[in-house]
Amino acid sequence: MGPEMIHVCSLADLPRGSARRLPLRPPVSVFHTDDGEFYAIDDTCTHQDASLADGWLEGCEVECPLHAAIFDLRTGEPDGMLAREPVRTHHVVVSNEAVYVVLSGTEQLDAAS
Amino acid sequence: MTALESGPDVATGSSLIPTLPGSAYTDPAVFTAEQERIFEPAWACVALASDLDKPGAFQKVQVGRESVVLVRGRDGAIRAFLNVCRHRGAQLCTEESGALRRNLQCPYHAWTYDFTGKLVAAPNLTSMPDVDRVEHGLHKVHVTEWLGYVWVCLAEQPPSFDDEVRAEVTGRLGTPAAIDAYDVGRLALGRRITYDVAANWKLIIENFMECYHCATIHPELTAVLPEFADGYAAQYYVGHGAEFAADAQGFTVDGRAGEQRLPGIADDQDRRYYAITIKPGVFVNLVPDHVIVHRMVPLAADRTKVVCDWLFAPDAVASGRDLGASVELFHRVNEQDFEACERTQPAMSSRAYRAGGVLVPSEHHIGLFHEWVQQRLA
Repeated sequence: MGPEMIHVCSLADLPRGSARRLPLRPPVSVFHTDDGEFYAIDDTCTHQDASLADGWLEGCEVECPLHAAIFDLRTGEPDGMLAREPVRTHHVVVSNEAVYVVLSGTEQLDAAS
Repeated sequence: MTALESGPDVATGSSLIPTLPGSAYTDPAVFTAEQERIFEPAWACVALASDLDKPGAFQKVQVGRESVVLVRGRDGAIRAFLNVCRHRGAQLCTEESGALRRNLQCPYHAWTYDFTGKLVAAPNLTSMPDVDRVEHGLHKVHVTEWLGYVWVCLAEQPPSFDDEVRAEVTGRLGTPAAIDAYDVGRLALGRRITYDVAANWKLIIENFMECYHCATIHPELTAVLPEFADGYAAQYYVGHGAEFAADAQGFTVDGRAGEQRLPGIADDQDRRYYAITIKPGVFVNLVPDHVIVHRMVPLAADRTKVVCDWLFAPDAVASGRDLGASVELFHRVNEQDFEACERTQPAMSSRAYRAGGVLVPSEHHIGLFHEWVQQRLA
């Protein structure tokens, strides 16, 4: 059995330039960039509780809507101005016109089992 | 040409009719009632639309007792909101104007609104899923654009713009097409001067409506418009524009030629000056090569801000030609008028003016303005 794939939405419901927030604990957001790439990160800004899915997606970075902290979607690293801690990154799978996320940590767990 | 009565008052047979009492110009309670019943329910001309030049451009404007934020959205539309955060009421914008990068954000707790007024983010908002982001968006204010200006109305049900605003222009010029000929919305800002006038807003309107004072305080204006020396203002007759003096080549401080006549205006509009009051706070002057728009913002019973724009053909502004002689004429008129209003304001609280003063026949149409004010306050 492979890693757990959590269904996010249909591909049609996540057009380029948009984001989807998954109400997990902690919440996760999935981004479809203008260039057609998919990324998933923890949704909550590490500076103050705000949803990064509500933020501004530019290239492969997202800017927090509250205080403009910027996170790199590829690495989860902040720009360091306000937010100092990174967010976790997760793996996105697009299959059969649907978008799934595989939470970081769970793939190793599954690989080990 | 339709003239109002120019002799003694029909009803009383008297040459003189009364003004408002002095207290109408000084009493803070009267001023508050005017803000509430005249300025807040009316369409207010608040900004030149081209000053909001790109998405995110904003201006803070005062309408009656309310601070209002104008912002141009990503869709190009200008929207207006009460300048009050829905959370704890802090003013969202404290600067007069500027450019917003992403959104409208309260500097207090960072409640964040998009340019349509919707609440898009706030600390801990995602853990309050019952908070409707539209319902807790900014309070919207009605907006329309005309003559290149942004007009807003604070009323929940605004009056018809045609009946309240366009009708004033048509009533003065005689036809709706008359102002269209100037294509005011296409013109560009050549100069803006803001006057802080220590006088009640009604003194400024009354001054603008009559020309009994013109021969005394406006030497440059009466040199270009000789009929103004007779005391009958352009606002006295329907459809009448005051004719330029034979030796005036343009509407300039010394009669020198101004800019090229605007392309759309009719031959009978050339070499003439038209003046329009759009109650309660706008004056428009039309001359062949430019348009002057005054916007009044009453700040207190004895203080009024007047913003005056001189609008010219875009190529005239772009050319960098000196528009100074054109601007200087009405700037002097403004300074002369506002000095007269400021001279009058202190006397409004004198016992000598408790019952008010009088209007001579060439000022009797100001009585219609007073009736209008009193109807709105009733």
